[in-house]
Amino acid sequence: METYNKPPQRRSRFLSSEASVAYICLIPAFFGLIFLTYLPLAGVLGISMTNWTGLKNPEFVGFSNYIKLFTTDPYIKDSIIATIYFAFLSVAGSMIYSLFIAMLLNRKIPARGFFRAVFYVPFVLPAVAIYVGWSWLYEANFGFFNYLLSKVGLNKILFIADSSYVVPSLSLIAVWLSGNLIVIFLAGLQNVPSIYHEAAEMDGASGWNRFWHITLPSMTPIIFYNLLLSLIANLQVVTPALALTNGGPGNSSRFMTYLMYDQAFVNYKLGYACATTFIIFAILAVFTVVLFKTSNRWIFSEGGDDK
Amino acid sequence: MKAMKKGMMLSVVMILILAMIVGCGSNNNKNTNASPSEGKASTAPETTTEPEKTSKTEKVKITYSMWGSAEEGSKTQEAADKFNATQDRIEVEVQAIPWENYMTKLNTQATAGQLPDTGILKEDGVIQWSSDGMLNDVSSMYEGSDSKPLDSLAYKYQGKTVAYAAANEILLLYYNKDMFDKANVPYPPSVLEKAWTWDEFVAAAKKLTNDKNGKHPGEDGFDSQGIVQYGASVENLAWQLETWALSNGGGFYNNDGTEVRIGEDASTEAIQKVADLYLKDHVAPLSVGQTDDGIQRTIIAGTVAMATNGQWNVGTSLNAAKEAGLKYGVAVLPYMKEKVTLNTGGANVVFSQTKHPQEAMEWLKWYTAEENNWGLISSGIWMPILEKWYTDETLTHKWVDNPNFPPYDEYKSAVVDYAQSSAARPASWFFTNNTTDFNTLLGSSLGDVWTGKTTAKDAIAKNLEALKAANKGDK
Amino acid sequence: MSELTYVRLKSKKRSERTMNVITLLVVLLFAFIVLFPIWWIFRTSLMTNPEIYKYPPSLIPENWLFSNYEKTLKIFKFWKYLWNTMVIIVPSCLAGTFTATLCGYAFARLRFRGKQLIWTLCVGSMLLPVMVTLIPLYIGWTRGLGLHDSYLPLILPYFCGGGAFNIFLIRQFILSIPRELDQAATIDGAGYFRILFSIIMPAIKPAMIVVALFIFIGLWNDLLQQMIYINSSDKYTIALGLTNFRGQLKSDWSLTMAATCLSFAPGVLFYLIGQKYFVEGITMTGIKN
Repeated sequence: METYNKPPQRRSRFLSSEASVAYICLIPAFFGLIFLTYLPLAGVLGISMTNWTGLKNPEFVGFSNYIKLFTTDPYIKDSIIATIYFAFLSVAGSMIYSLFIAMLLNRKIPARGFFRAVFYVPFVLPAVAIYVGWSWLYEANFGFFNYLLSKVGLNKILFIADSSYVVPSLSLIAVWLSGNLIVIFLAGLQNVPSIYHEAAEMDGASGWNRFWHITLPSMTPIIFYNLLLSLIANLQVVTPALALTNGGPGNSSRFMTYLMYDQAFVNYKLGYACATTFIIFAILAVFTVVLFKTSNRWIFSEGGDDK
Repeated sequence: MKAMKKGMMLSVVMILILAMIVGCGSNNNKNTNASPSEGKASTAPETTTEPEKTSKTEKVKITYSMWGSAEEGSKTQEAADKFNATQDRIEVEVQAIPWENYMTKLNTQATAGQLPDTGILKEDGVIQWSSDGMLNDVSSMYEGSDSKPLDSLAYKYQGKTVAYAAANEILLLYYNKDMFDKANVPYPPSVLEKAWTWDEFVAAAKKLTNDKNGKHPGEDGFDSQGIVQYGASVENLAWQLETWALSNGGGFYNNDGTEVRIGEDASTEAIQKVADLYLKDHVAPLSVGQTDDGIQRTIIAGTVAMATNGQWNVGTSLNAAKEAGLKYGVAVLPYMKEKVTLNTGGANVVFSQTKHPQEAMEWLKWYTAEENNWGLISSGIWMPILEKWYTDETLTHKWVDNPNFPPYDEYKSAVVDYAQSSAARPASWFFTNNTTDFNTLLGSSLGDVWTGKTTAKDAIAKNLEALKAANKGDK
Repeated sequence: MSELTYVRLKSKKRSERTMNVITLLVVLLFAFIVLFPIWWIFRTSLMTNPEIYKYPPSLIPENWLFSNYEKTLKIFKFWKYLWNTMVIIVPSCLAGTFTATLCGYAFARLRFRGKQLIWTLCVGSMLLPVMVTLIPLYIGWTRGLGLHDSYLPLILPYFCGGGAFNIFLIRQFILSIPRELDQAATIDGAGYFRILFSIIMPAIKPAMIVVALFIFIGLWNDLLQQMIYINSSDKYTIALGLTNFRGQLKSDWSLTMAATCLSFAPGVLFYLIGQKYFVEGITMTGIKN
């Protein structure tokens, strides 16, 4: 996208071999895209036009699932709002947190390897353990956080039992989990050519200046990737609702993918769930296109094609 | 960017084309089975039409699926091995599926026609599966037997019995005896005739609720934010709330589950009373209703003096706690206008995709005989389903006289007698369709009721039409 | 070197040192916060079930019940589950990383017809949650290809590019390598594959290891798909094994947490080994200078 090629100006024998190398490289992706993504997706589109419960034989119903989604569905509106709210908090939180931690961990501090592992551990833990563990901390009556609050004489916070607190509470867990972003940032920081830093240091540039003018610009492809990864992952959020809240209280954590899961695998509305899928797809596509569109302005691409 | 837009457009077009190819060519679509719109690429008929030839020497193989832990899975396989040894026609293999994902897995298997022959099914889906033609009629299972399952344990769709519950369960009031003794409050009654009214229940709960200065709700200077011990906790899972709606003269549905009654004042008032235990009476912790460890959090932890929950807790947690020194008791539920408890139990079904319905039924009948799943019954997780265990005192003694249970007399009157009294009513999912959908929507509607952001009346009024549509199966 | 520069460098060194001390303190603070929930899980693994629910909650177990781990290992057949999991993970990791690198290279460096379309389709596939295509894929694998109770539906997808996210990650890293490097090689007459293997791959080793790590963790914790495709308990993986403690209507949380504490060790180990390459291996970047 941001590196779309202009017509190559090489000799044509190069061009032909270049293309065939590319196609060979892409054979696995062809298979994956056709058989694991778009053909099944076509199936999903087909199912979305039926009233299939997953059990009895389906009947063709045209667009009525989509019409129902937009008119009478009791969940979809709350669900979209909850998802976007969650994604906003989690993306902002985890981007700032992980870049900050990665910068700190890139400095020469004692036991650096140990600390790098520490921040990564939450990402490795299985979801069940994470959410059960946190649920004891967050519990409304006897949880540890409320115990601390009562010790200092503050009123209880109901955390995940209260529709106004549940999304921020879950976002906090998402930020805590963002060890993968830290890893990518750390790997990316290695790619900042140290020769630039040395040069800047000789020039007497302050730490902040160096960060702003050297580190950050050369990190932009990685920042972009992390932003995209975290945006998509958080818009597709489902695990906290599955493992912890069941979408509640009310619909305050009934995230879109959870809603779809609930329809498809719990409530016997497979056709309807497949229609919901395309709403999710559309919303994700809008956010992704916007992100790509704005990315041209701030991505500094060293090895990219002619810019 | 133009190129990208073009790419997006192209990909959409491609999906559409693929959908058409896959959707139309129903003969060569084995890969995705995306032709349900054609209405013929389905599952059940193909597998049932071809009965397998079984010679006398070769045993019929049957798969029984169950939810549970690894330990429970191997115990059930042991039982199956015993069954396999008793006769030479049927060979049962047990497939244990993790509890949390049980229905997800079964639903997925159903889409591809990969279901086991028989298995246990979660209560709320039974009638749905039956109405979609996925279950065999099992009415004939107990023909000619000396004892039948309790009437209330049959799942019925259009007058036919489509499943019997694997076990019986009822809702009870558990209490921590030490906490009652300390507050000098009489124990809740275990006899149905003496059941507490709701107001008596709340009054007792107030005496058992203390803030950190030892004050009770209603007293001057009581600090509702500083409660260290609660008097009562009423589980607010959607299906359990039906108890209170019925008790207050309302209900979720009419008698055959075809009309929704939850909008009636009696029903919403009952739900509000449950919410008010936390909001107004300050005798209950906020019940989140999302986990199955209510009794461990309350009675066993010593944070709440009384709590409502299912009988299974005797076997899942209270037996171990009793061994560790906990003194707990069982009592009948308090009531609003009518005395009500719900009974329920996961369903043992024979899937219509099976080639061997007779053999499957034979196995189920053998397996649900109490002697053959004695482990679950003697630990207290399951209650027997056959009537004789409730009516024949020697059998009742055999069941209850063991260290996992509370004293015989107490358990006999608060559980055994209670379960066959007029107060015990089958949960609506024994005869009502679409309860999964209905309960999900009800739970979501009531989300802000428990924290007092809205009232039960308003919350239900707002979603009443959707609740009615859910009951009708408007998919 | 002038006097001035010398002084500046000296004061710089001092401020550097104070900065490092502050950094260490901040890192310690954050590490404490991050580790707290993990400590909570660990202390739970050493408690009895009633103790978990005690109020006020205790930070330290009354008795350190290491016997919980013995009990856990009786049900949680760690080595067997680990072996089964590795049977899935090892081919997936290798194939996924390799094919993702191939695809990422094509997208980052090569020119060919239809690049834009394929790339857009690739990005589009990232937008789909796994659950969306689960049912069509399940039908395809079981009814279409007859794979029952098999690991193949879990492994084979990784032979197809290792997922769009990973292709994307590789592409981004290749883009950040100066293009002059492979152009120079082209002039020397190196083919595209040679450039990939001898110039690009060494330079993006950190990214490749990160990709392998993500595939590893993703499969390690992928309960949903493993649960759907695997039936028999002797094929259980670590993720499925963790559900062994969730019984009928009851959950043994202290044993679940003990199993959790046992099972995240391999993931951390992989990270610690990989870390050497992708964060400590600073010299590698020397290739660019």
